[in-house]
Amino acid sequence: MTTVPTSPPSPGAHGAGRVYDRGYRPFDGVLGGRRAAVTALWRASVRRALGIRRSWRQKLFPWLLLVVVTIPAIVNVGIAYVTRDSPARDFTIITYRDYVGVSTALLVFVGLTAPDVICPDRRNRTLPLLFARPLTGLDYVVAKVGAIFTIVFAFGFLPQVVLFVGQMLVSDAAIDYLVDNAAVLWQVPVSVSLLAIYYSSFAVAVASFATRRIVAAAALLIILLVTSIVAGVLGGGEEGDTSIWAVVNLLALPLHLRDVVFEGGPAADSPLHGIDNGTAVGLGVYLTVLAASWGVLWRRYRWVEA
Amino acid sequence: MTAESASLVETRALTKTYSGGVRALDGLDLSLTEGTIGLVGANGAGKSTLFRILLGLTRPDHGTVRVAGLDVATDPIGVRSRLGFMPEHDCLPTDQSATDVVATLGEIAGLPARAARQRASDVLDLVGLDEARFRPIEGFSTGMRQRTKLAQAIVADPTLVLLDEPTAGLDPAGRHEMLDLIRRLAGFGISVIIATHLLDDVQATCDQVVMIDAGRLVAAGRTADLLETTGRVRVDVGGRGPELVAALAGEAGALGSATLAADGSVEIAADAEAEVDRLIEAVHRAGLPLHGLSSGRRTLDDVFLDRARTAHGAA
Amino acid sequence: MAFRPVDSVDPDDPAFAPDAAVVVRDVSVWFGQKVALSELSCSFGAGVTGLLGPNGAGKTTLMRAICGLLPANRGEVRVHGHDPRRDRDVQRQVALVPEEDAVPESLSPRQLATYQATLAGVRDRDAVERSLAAVDLLDVADRRLGGFSKGMRQRGKVAAALVTDPSVLVLDEPLNGADPVQRLALIELFRDLGAQGRTVIVSSHVLHEVERLAPRVIVVSSGRLAAAGDHRSIRDAMADRPRRVLLHSDDDRRLGAALLALETVASVEVARGGLTVASGNASTFAHALPAVVHALGVHLREVRPLDESLESVFEELLR
Repeated sequence: MTTVPTSPPSPGAHGAGRVYDRGYRPFDGVLGGRRAAVTALWRASVRRALGIRRSWRQKLFPWLLLVVVTIPAIVNVGIAYVTRDSPARDFTIITYRDYVGVSTALLVFVGLTAPDVICPDRRNRTLPLLFARPLTGLDYVVAKVGAIFTIVFAFGFLPQVVLFVGQMLVSDAAIDYLVDNAAVLWQVPVSVSLLAIYYSSFAVAVASFATRRIVAAAALLIILLVTSIVAGVLGGGEEGDTSIWAVVNLLALPLHLRDVVFEGGPAADSPLHGIDNGTAVGLGVYLTVLAASWGVLWRRYRWVEA
Repeated sequence: MTAESASLVETRALTKTYSGGVRALDGLDLSLTEGTIGLVGANGAGKSTLFRILLGLTRPDHGTVRVAGLDVATDPIGVRSRLGFMPEHDCLPTDQSATDVVATLGEIAGLPARAARQRASDVLDLVGLDEARFRPIEGFSTGMRQRTKLAQAIVADPTLVLLDEPTAGLDPAGRHEMLDLIRRLAGFGISVIIATHLLDDVQATCDQVVMIDAGRLVAAGRTADLLETTGRVRVDVGGRGPELVAALAGEAGALGSATLAADGSVEIAADAEAEVDRLIEAVHRAGLPLHGLSSGRRTLDDVFLDRARTAHGAA
Repeated sequence: MAFRPVDSVDPDDPAFAPDAAVVVRDVSVWFGQKVALSELSCSFGAGVTGLLGPNGAGKTTLMRAICGLLPANRGEVRVHGHDPRRDRDVQRQVALVPEEDAVPESLSPRQLATYQATLAGVRDRDAVERSLAAVDLLDVADRRLGGFSKGMRQRGKVAAALVTDPSVLVLDEPLNGADPVQRLALIELFRDLGAQGRTVIVSSHVLHEVERLAPRVIVVSSGRLAAAGDHRSIRDAMADRPRRVLLHSDDDRRLGAALLALETVASVEVARGGLTVASGNASTFAHALPAVVHALGVHLREVRPLDESLESVFEELLR
């Protein structure tokens, strides 16, 4: 970038003096188009959710949460290490499958983060500033859901990586461990993705109806809690009961898909165990929730009117 | 350079009717060149509809629009890349700093991250936000918010910015500063369309004016051209008008029929150089003080009312 | 800058209107540590008075105190001799049209005005129709306010305020959002209301309109009275500031040089826009000008005082 002098050198008794241009510097690069805009919005939303460039208070919860969800992995590896030469060596407190579970903390995190990246844009009426940028309403939704997805996926996946690598290093032969547990290498990312896309789409869709974050968070948690209770009641009300009504439990729905990924069907302790077509119905409800969420979002953020 | 590329905004037969029969725009033909343009409207949603159409956010029922050489119907995203927008209402996230907001919005406009940071810093300098830029917007005064809004509109070095009532809520000093800022934008190669109800602002800042009433174009052109002289000369002799009228009574030509106006000034129906010279001679001979002399340029208020009245009369 | 301290009521003091309906005496209002009004004294009489000042000067606080919406921590506010905070009858005589755009969107202007009339116990059945007619909303009186433009919503609010036939009408930025045609209509309406003998107080930042609307202004700054009266007289009162006049002739430079020889002229500035002359006394300069023009033989085209508008007076005042 060159500085353009505005005045010719003025020779005076003290030598030459010159004023360099302190005026406006136009942008002479190339403006990224739609893709750059969407990426930037995605990045900004991720930053916001993780508290980057914000006060330490905003950073506290996400990073603390990451630590909390990683603790089971650390503990497990620790135990495996400590018991490696003892008869209790195969004792684990958590399996990979179980770890892809609905950790309460993670859920609370989604319940707080999705509203935080969606509601302020509505509340502060910032949307017009975004409308006027080179992206469409759908791009906006993709960026926002993408941001939540990224974080939920990361928080679900990273602890698993810690667990796997830890176990690998603690075992007698790392390569053998790797080969024996190779299936886990695709099962975990796929099931975590299925979980993440579900929760992020649903949470963002619910949040898009509210202008206040607290209202959105409450609505989200209430819906998930109520459906889980209703499913339990309809399903017999007893721990260990199995019933087709388990699919009504929106909170635990993705877990059925996780079971499919890990075990080909409902696991022994799943409420869908032994139910005819349980998996198919579960999958159907899952896809319906996803479609409904995206449908809602597409409608809520349709910027261009005919 | 063809006429096409020199023009900033071109619309032809632009029409938009909302459900309920509200005709926001009715066969609008515009041809605006680079510069600072005032958009004044009455009786209807015309100005916001026009902005939305320029941004490609609303599809017109009829007609074509070209902005900065691009057809809005075929490439709305491309058009938005070259536009900046400053809404009238509060629209800034309150828990972030001005720097953060402007840089982020710059990135979302397509600027690379480092360029966005630098441009944010530059434009915040330009609008006069100093250390305040690092504080959360929550604590900003109206003037600071308006300036931040303007900053985010120009951060990506747009060809054209659309400003919706940029002086709303500002006290006289703030208005002054904002209008100064807007005047400077043209020098940076940024054209401006200001939508406002304050004709005074337009007269002070804009070199082109577009007036819309009930969706139809009532007047458009260069400000200077619209403000024709009225062919009358008005002189203010500090309350001693009657003396001047008496002194002029015997004069030949228009001077002889000088009249006393309601505010105490004296009017003659001519503005030829010779007449004005003789008028001043008369003032001098009569020993009267010369407080004011003007050839009665109209204000945009007068122009608007005139045109609006004729438009309604014809409708 | 030197401004006149306001002590006891001096009948010639332009801060005090004769036979004023609204009298503010040594009023101080504070909110915690923030002092909104500080020993302010002034009064408002029949006709339209402009209330001006920078943002945060205390105008809104003053208006609310006059309407009895908040108490004065010190001093007293009297409307028709009574305390608007305590006296119900006098409260009904004062109407405030605030700046915020908060109108119940589902109501129509007629409904809003009727609601206001009922609240205030207005007996006159025609009051609602009269107020709607006064603001020219009769033909859209039954449409939802939510569907209106900002300017029309403002008119709806004014109609609701007029329905109680108030003798004191306080308006905060009443022209906000109104398009040029509506603005002129509203200005005429307020002038009429003032001419009817009501005390109309208008606060606005659009000074050239206040100039058209109000022959008298009260200027507050930082909670204190900064100036009062007709704006030209205010300007004259700031005698220590030079008066600036813009001249256009066919030979500005020669004219400028000649004018510089006058004792009353402090400075002369030649620019493309014309010749700007700063003098110590507007009147002395105006008397001297024709002679200079005559002697030089230049063709003078325009003489424009630059600081006679309310806008320039305001700027000068608060520098």
